[in-house]
Amino acid sequence: MPEGLQLAVGNRVVYPNQGVCLVTAIDVKEVAGQKLTFVTMRREEDGAVVMVPQAKVTAIGVRKVASAEEVSEIYSFLRSDSDKADLDWKQRARTNVDRMTQGGILGLAEVVKGLQVLSELRPLPTKERELYDNARHLLVSEVAAALNIPEVNAEDSVDLVLFPPGRERPKRTAAEFKPRGEGDEEDLGLDGSLLGLDGDLELPPDEEEAPAEEEEAGGEEGSEEEGDEEAPAASKKAAKAEPSEEGAEGEAPKRKRGRPPKPKPEGEAAAAPAVPKKRGRPPKPKPEGEAAAPAAPKKRGRPPKKKPEGETE
Amino acid sequence: MIRVVTLDSYDDKQLAKFSRTLYTAFGVGSEHSGQFELPAGLPEPLDAEKVLDAVKGIRAYKDDKVLYLTSRKLKDRELPSGTAPTNGFARFGKDKAIITSHGYKDLEVGYKPVARHALHQLGHLWELHHCLDPRCSMYPPWTPSFAAGEATFCTFCREKSEQKIRLAKS
Repeated sequence: MPEGLQLAVGNRVVYPNQGVCLVTAIDVKEVAGQKLTFVTMRREEDGAVVMVPQAKVTAIGVRKVASAEEVSEIYSFLRSDSDKADLDWKQRARTNVDRMTQGGILGLAEVVKGLQVLSELRPLPTKERELYDNARHLLVSEVAAALNIPEVNAEDSVDLVLFPPGRERPKRTAAEFKPRGEGDEEDLGLDGSLLGLDGDLELPPDEEEAPAEEEEAGGEEGSEEEGDEEAPAASKKAAKAEPSEEGAEGEAPKRKRGRPPKPKPEGEAAAAPAVPKKRGRPPKPKPEGEAAAPAAPKKRGRPPKKKPEGETE
Repeated sequence: MIRVVTLDSYDDKQLAKFSRTLYTAFGVGSEHSGQFELPAGLPEPLDAEKVLDAVKGIRAYKDDKVLYLTSRKLKDRELPSGTAPTNGFARFGKDKAIITSHGYKDLEVGYKPVARHALHQLGHLWELHHCLDPRCSMYPPWTPSFAAGEATFCTFCREKSEQKIRLAKS
């Protein structure tokens, strides 16, 4: 028996992602020649029975039903005006799965609260709506078991905190969830891993500077070309760009994201413009002798019948 | 099958309309199964849980859901996190629920909110939890916008209720 969780017949436990179960038996069974102690649990909701080897009870995450004090802590957590919602869906899904399996009753409350706050920003997608419903179901059944009250009362007690009477839920905007002190990189909605890609690349010092110079040069060339070809349009663009440039004075020039452009090869090959490749099968080489005379076009269909010689005369 | 049992007198036409609304919402047959008298000695406002236990003798099959309708006030419930305004009560996943039309002169006047409360409590009988969508009847019933909404479900709650009904044994 692992330390910290002593189970006995008649105990009420919570099986992660399954709900409140009652320990109905602890007995020794022989499986594949080994004698193992199994804990038999019956789910209170529908009577489903599960048997778990006693050595794996803790690893699975089986725990005792929360106490009344823990439930009151849950109420105060749910009552708190949280503005934390992870806008990165991948990170959010990962965190929520961990909370559901290993977070205990507080984890369930965190999932419910987090998704409820997120739903004030936008409607939840189907998967998360299902997750919200599962988390709510597990939370309600555990609160009902902990306080020994009907499930409807347990749900109402949770929702009295989440949806206080006489008040409508606030509408939230994405700006409220934005962490403070972050730049405009967040506006692109890029993943944290993608943003950190540039910093993780370890390039030799000579290669690090080269792309930046090329980019600058490329940028200037581009602007000059635009200036030559579209003078009026460019002047309008410049007029529009002026305020932003003034505002950005003193700031470091923005780095371009993505892979740096390949260095251009020096020499003749670089000077001569490359012939654009034609797609498809290359044309067949023409025979030299007959190539000069154009071939008569083939007539389609059956060749005409030869007229009998007698008739012609 | 949804069986509406009245504990006070109501207009038959209104009850027929009420049953039609329930049928539309759940896709299950619904009928008025008669009027029953509350046992004497129950103090007002009524304790919803006690009423569900007190009323007996209603004929229903195993998967039938019985909805009591009364015009008397129901007592607000004292819960661990506060007092819950009570316009109805249901046993989660079981077969009996009660709603009240108290506060409205008759069913005609308060038809919309009463029907919405009915859907809400019947939804609890089919194991629906509270919903996040204010337009859904499973939205918490003590919110100000609840009474103004239509007696309908959101897509998620409707599909879930349909699934539960489909899985019913009979």
